Amino acid sequence: MRTSIILFITLALLVTLGSAVYELRESEQAILTQFGRPLDRPVIEPGLHFKVPFIQKVHVFDKRFLEWDGEANQLPTRDKRFIWVDTYARWRITDPLLFFQRLRDERGAQTRLDDILDGETRNAIANHDLLEVVRASNRTPLVDESLPETEASVLEPIEAGREAIRQEILDAAQARTDDLGIEILDVRLKRINYIESVRAEVYDRMISERKRIATRYRSEGDGEASRILGEMERDLKQIQSQAYRQAQEIRGAADAEATSIYASAYDQSADSRDFYQFLKTLETFEETVDRDTSLLLSTGGEFYRYLQDSGR
Amino acid sequence: MSKIHGFPGGKGNGSGDDVVIELPDLDELRRRFSGGDGGGGKLIRIGLIVGLVLAVIFTSAFTIEPEEVGVVMRFGEFQRYASPGLNLKIPLGVEEVIKVPVERQLKEEFGFRTEQAGVRTQYAGGSFDDEALMLTGDLNIANVEWVVQYRIVDPYKYLFRVRNVRETFRAMSEAVTREVVGDRTVNEVLTVGRAQVATLVEQQLQELADQYETGLKVEQVVLQNVNPPDEVKASFNDVNQAEQERSSKINQAQSQYNERIPRARGEAEQAISQAEGYGLERTNRAEGEANRFNALYGEYRQAPEVTRKRMYLETMAVVLPRAGGKIIVDEGMEGLVPMFNMDTRQPTARQGGVGSGAVAGGDG
Repeated sequence: MRTSIILFITLALLVTLGSAVYELRESEQAILTQFGRPLDRPVIEPGLHFKVPFIQKVHVFDKRFLEWDGEANQLPTRDKRFIWVDTYARWRITDPLLFFQRLRDERGAQTRLDDILDGETRNAIANHDLLEVVRASNRTPLVDESLPETEASVLEPIEAGREAIRQEILDAAQARTDDLGIEILDVRLKRINYIESVRAEVYDRMISERKRIATRYRSEGDGEASRILGEMERDLKQIQSQAYRQAQEIRGAADAEATSIYASAYDQSADSRDFYQFLKTLETFEETVDRDTSLLLSTGGEFYRYLQDSGR
Repeated sequence: MSKIHGFPGGKGNGSGDDVVIELPDLDELRRRFSGGDGGGGKLIRIGLIVGLVLAVIFTSAFTIEPEEVGVVMRFGEFQRYASPGLNLKIPLGVEEVIKVPVERQLKEEFGFRTEQAGVRTQYAGGSFDDEALMLTGDLNIANVEWVVQYRIVDPYKYLFRVRNVRETFRAMSEAVTREVVGDRTVNEVLTVGRAQVATLVEQQLQELADQYETGLKVEQVVLQNVNPPDEVKASFNDVNQAEQERSSKINQAQSQYNERIPRARGEAEQAISQAEGYGLERTNRAEGEANRFNALYGEYRQAPEVTRKRMYLETMAVVLPRAGGKIIVDEGMEGLVPMFNMDTRQPTARQGGVGSGAVAGGDG
């Protein structure tokens, strides 16, 4: 009997102790409620803590940066293009008491963040052109040397850019979370993509752009080849005709010189001209007559005259 | 949590991995002592004490592997780091250890998954297009696959500053990569700007990791495949092909040029040389013939009459024997020519061959 009383008391003490002591981890913070009414002072230090057993209740919250990952939403930009926007945010519980009063727990916070961040994102996107959402700066793009100059893509100038839009969303969201005991540290646009129907259009545009470049390359090839072949024709004609001209000139000069040599020899006097004629006639005569030639010799000709003269 | 080595009772599962307390042994002890009816309460007491001692030993000693660091907490509060080797802590749940692999290089893949790592559930069955497809600064689409290698450098921050570090880190990496790619033309991303993209992502991701107090260090960002989307890949390839065609066409024309022009130049020189040869021959012959004539003429002038006759007769002496037919007609005879049958023989009978006008004319 006595042992059972001792046992009972020990057990009761243990239970009381268990209810009076609680452990807070490095990453945690907590508030205490007394009959449902929260106490003013949150507990932030990690380690072993005491409370009034049974009366006070511990509510533990995370102290770390927490994640918020938005659903991908289909949003219109100011220039009426529909895009998928996927955002994420970092937030933390800065005032556990306020947090507990306003949002109760993390699930409540997530729901509220959904409302705030999705809404502000929608507003910001709707206030800017697609280009502003995608781009971050007005930098000059590097140029691919191998591409034709006219095809070097340009980055259209922007006014705000992604960073400014992000800041816009963050500022607006922060203003709305002030009294919730939480702080949004950062909002980022994780993914931006065309919706499927627009994507197909973009693909078509990209394809036609590439086709244009390919066509250009091909026609450049043809053009350049034709130019070279044309040059070849021209050079050929130039070389050949120049050679022809030079050859003719050389021949002409030689002919002229030969003629003048002949003339200076044959044209010395009337006598020489006569002798040349005679000589040439004899030569020609000698060359003309061959085996198949029949000669008709007139007795009145000179040859026979010699005969007759001698025979007389 | 702690790994226990050299545990005497750990015979069954010799591996000794992550065992808090080898319960089978305690059970065995208890069974043995309660079953033996001789010893009774004393044995039970000894058994309990032994069990308690063992439990204290095994919850106070722990090993840290070389690539790890141990984070020791007392009642949840951070106390100290434990370096690799055998370490001690206050037993029985007062202190606990979390091991963080600070020296191990960790890796996150985007746009693809290596097979060994397995496909994570939320991506199972699907493609990773959502991750890889991104808008470029000229509003085109590029398919970018990349890998981020990183290390945990600050275990405290890693454990206690950010929840779900890995998810956070993935989201950061996606946001940063898209921001960098979104500020570049599709050509830059695909070709000239690739290296720059990787460097910038690495830099900005590190900045963000510091800002978020993740305790991570980005070691390297590697762009794996950067491609146009599948739907337009063919047309991108076609551009490459067209570029090849262009140079091959130019090369062909050039080689044709190189084949024809030097030959034509050679031929031109040949024609000119031939003309020069002709010229030389022509003048030399003229010179020779003129000289010969002059020599002959010089002699002729000494005795024109005789020389002339001599030359005439000498020529006849050569010519007459050679001729095939000879007909001698009298001076007075007329109308002879029609008597020849001109059909059977070719008109070789040349009137005026001998005593012709030429010779006669020469006389005159």
